[in-house]
Amino acid sequence: MNASFLLFTLLNTGFILLVSPLFMSLIKKVKAYAQGRKGPRLLQNYLDLRKLMQKEVVYSPNSSGIMRIAPYLNLAVLLLASLFVPVVFIPDAPAGIGNIIVFLYLLAIERFFTALCGLDAGSSFGGMGSSRLMSLSAVIEPTMVIAFAALAYVLRTVNFHEMFAITAGSTIPESPTLTLISISLFIIIIVETGRIPVDNPATHLELTMMNEAMILEQSGKNLALIELTHAVKQTILMAILINVLVPWGLVTELTFAGLAVSCLYFLLKASLLAGLIGLFESSIAKMRLFRLPSFYMMAFFFSALTILMEVFA
Amino acid sequence: MIILGYLAMGAIALALIALSKSHRTMNAFFILHTLAFLAIGVYVLLTTAVPIFETGSEYFYVDHLSLYEVLIAALLFFLASVYANGYVESLVQAQELHRNNLKIFYMIFSILLTTVTLAFFSDNLALFWIFAELTTIFSAALVAILSAKENIDAAIKYIFIASGAMLFSFIGLIFLYTLSGEVLGSGTLNWIILAKNAALLSPKILTASFIFLFIGFAAKSGIFPFHTWLPDAHSKAPSAVSAILSGVLLNIGIYGILRMYAIVRQTQAEPMVSKFLLGFGLLTVAVAVLNMLLQKNLKMLIAFSSVEHMGILLLGIGIGTPLALFWTLFYILAHSLTKASLFFSAGILHRQYESNLIQDIKDVFSLQPIAGWGFVIGTFAIVGMPPFPIFSAKFFILLEAFGFSKSLVFAVLLLLVIASAAFARFLIEAFTQSSKDEGTDGMEALLPYTVRGGMKFPILSILFVILALGVFFPEPLEKLLNTIVYELGYM
Amino acid sequence: MISSFIANPAFLEDIIRILFVFVLITAAFTLSTRNIASLLTVYAVQSLLMVLIAIFLYLIEGNKTLIAIAALTLVSKVLLIPLFINLIGEKIKISRDLKFNYLEPTASLLVSIGLILLAYVFLSGFFSEFILGKLFFMGAVIGLSLTLMGMLVMFSRRKVITKAIGYLTMENGVLLFGIFVADLPFIIEILIVIDLMILVLLTTILAIGLDSTIEEYHQRLQTLKIWSGREN
Repeated sequence: MNASFLLFTLLNTGFILLVSPLFMSLIKKVKAYAQGRKGPRLLQNYLDLRKLMQKEVVYSPNSSGIMRIAPYLNLAVLLLASLFVPVVFIPDAPAGIGNIIVFLYLLAIERFFTALCGLDAGSSFGGMGSSRLMSLSAVIEPTMVIAFAALAYVLRTVNFHEMFAITAGSTIPESPTLTLISISLFIIIIVETGRIPVDNPATHLELTMMNEAMILEQSGKNLALIELTHAVKQTILMAILINVLVPWGLVTELTFAGLAVSCLYFLLKASLLAGLIGLFESSIAKMRLFRLPSFYMMAFFFSALTILMEVFA
Repeated sequence: MIILGYLAMGAIALALIALSKSHRTMNAFFILHTLAFLAIGVYVLLTTAVPIFETGSEYFYVDHLSLYEVLIAALLFFLASVYANGYVESLVQAQELHRNNLKIFYMIFSILLTTVTLAFFSDNLALFWIFAELTTIFSAALVAILSAKENIDAAIKYIFIASGAMLFSFIGLIFLYTLSGEVLGSGTLNWIILAKNAALLSPKILTASFIFLFIGFAAKSGIFPFHTWLPDAHSKAPSAVSAILSGVLLNIGIYGILRMYAIVRQTQAEPMVSKFLLGFGLLTVAVAVLNMLLQKNLKMLIAFSSVEHMGILLLGIGIGTPLALFWTLFYILAHSLTKASLFFSAGILHRQYESNLIQDIKDVFSLQPIAGWGFVIGTFAIVGMPPFPIFSAKFFILLEAFGFSKSLVFAVLLLLVIASAAFARFLIEAFTQSSKDEGTDGMEALLPYTVRGGMKFPILSILFVILALGVFFPEPLEKLLNTIVYELGYM
Repeated sequence: MISSFIANPAFLEDIIRILFVFVLITAAFTLSTRNIASLLTVYAVQSLLMVLIAIFLYLIEGNKTLIAIAALTLVSKVLLIPLFINLIGEKIKISRDLKFNYLEPTASLLVSIGLILLAYVFLSGFFSEFILGKLFFMGAVIGLSLTLMGMLVMFSRRKVITKAIGYLTMENGVLLFGIFVADLPFIIEILIVIDLMILVLLTTILAIGLDSTIEEYHQRLQTLKIWSGREN
């Protein structure tokens, strides 16, 4: 545990926590413009979080300890996962940090506890949301594994830190197959964060909710933490895509100027990606639940294709 | 020179048909077109020293095999055109064919003849491919000319299966081109050059390219498993067109397989390719025969019989001995003629009963004696009874096959028996029905359909010719077939 | 600076590889989309990719036929054929969405992965005899896979227009295979394009009778008693 890593922990986590709500509201703003309205302010998400922090937490009498720990647990797990994805600079990490399999399982833990929360209060909507989400996740799981496996195959390592080091070292995409992978990663972002066409995050109709249904019972500080968790997950997944496809600006040494530049670059790239996600959401309609596996199949197809192409060439 | 002659005739005929106003003139010009082609063919056969290259660019090549096929094609088109005179007229009167479409019908028919001829005369495999594709398209247009939904369905199925398979054939072409490029310096797709240098070609890749080419040609000839378009297309088309489809177009695919096999035969790839062809031939015969047992539609029965005969042709080619090839070539002639007569008779019956189904055929011999007896005799011929020519052809092919594998011969014989049973069942059921069997709610007595001029002539003449062919094997024909066998490199 | 980029064959090969990737992406879209309009767009994009591949291959190889092929493909497949199909589509208002698939997109994508693998295994067996560069081998595999995927489209969809697009995709695949494995004389290409045009012409005209809901076809079925549903 050297100083570089400690610094990295503080910087990375702090930066991600700071920036995540911004991207969420950026996506909302892009969608609003696409629909012809002005949409909420860019800083609205921060203000909402502050508002929620000041509110009282109400627990349903039927809920158990899960309801009380889960939001904190989720945030902790996800912040741990964020260590795996260096956003501004690549540190000298101890072994195990950065492993993609552990990363996948950390995300799975978060999903698991969220699903349990949905069931915890005993309301049927929560249960419905949990079951939908779990069944979809079961389908996306192999696709995610294959996508990350393809990434590992192309870049020849199973550690995110090393992957980003490799891609950061070249000017153009290391291999044409990374284009294919990025499509898969994009689809994974959409699925994991519950955006259209998988799930409508802005819906207020309970029957169409998936993710929202599970957090319907949350309130106050807990709700703020859950929203933050969601935003952090979005940012991490976006960071993976960015650092694989367009890694310019990522530094490996610790200089103040380098850090500042790389933060700026990241903000720029991530904003563009957020805008892209917003546009994509606005241009497509929510898919029927039973059609979703074909959407996932596209991601699977491209990942499998990547592996095949690497074998051919 | 020769090709230019054909092309000129074709162009003139097309122009004349385009300018004609009445059905009679269109039909007359078409008949003249076919007669002109026949005449040129016979003239070339008798006077010029074949084989020769044409137009100096080695793209067209006239040798005895292509002349033979072209003559068969021209003869069949002639008979079909004479038949079409009366048949198409009655289609128009029954409003199944629009008068406006008549001109298109004859024009496409005429173009089809020219395209078929050019296909047979191509020396370059790619050119052959292109012409074969064009024949698919034009014949599909003829199938769809009746504008009923089923016809269009059948035509589209035909186009897609045949053209899709031809694309695989094209991949085989590319393989062959690269292969010859490696061996001969510059790639070539000419049959003649390939045949001459066959021994130099690598057997493995030659087999691969043969298989790809086979896919396309087999689809065109209705070999299993690409035969699915054939029953629908051949049964729904007007009978004059069905005769051409079964008698001429299927020959194009077999021609391609023949030429390719002649090349493969000279290399070490022969045993495997031979087994491949024999296997597919047997499967085709089996599938066709088993389907024939179930048929209730007259023209579908005849169409499946075409598939069966194509399977036997494959067997004949696959055996690979000179004698087998000789009789296969004879079989092609015999089959085309006999099948045409069957379709012509079926056409008359269709006009009479407005239907092809068993239950609608009643009192055949009193209403349509010529068509009825023509059909019965044609069935005897097609099933392989002596003294008709198909008998001798089948007999000798199976005799050659006996040397290959006895179980194959027994299997084929069994299947042929089943085929005969299928025909017999249909005939007995259909032709012995009488309107008196019907109860009190039977239909009014059917008026006999007056067979127009020109519809009887083809049937009668074909029956006469095949009887003559079966009994006396004319010596010029024997000489011609022997020359073909020699030219293909078999002896 | 640009010319130095263009002169560098390794760079060109990378670009061609990226184009291959895009071609496969278009093939995946063809397999899974349900909207006829987007099918046509995807086809036009695919043909455009073919044109670009031909041009870049020309820059590597210097074979003049390739430029001619590129021009021909551009005119016929990118411009004329989609234009023509659109014209027909407007005249008779074919319904926009494809109603049925025989094979759901999920399954067809899985099958196409299998087909690509098959093409790879098959071709690697043969190209031990030929000696082709890695790029050309990849081109051949992609070409064969595209043909097989086009065949899958043709057999798994019901509407005739999609079957026609499937056939056109197969044709693209064969073209790709051809320009990488051999160099055929140009006259052959011209004749193939003519053949293709006639085929598309005929099929779309026939499709009018099949896909649209013109009343007179129903009436005609009544008059032609033969076909009126007494047989399959």
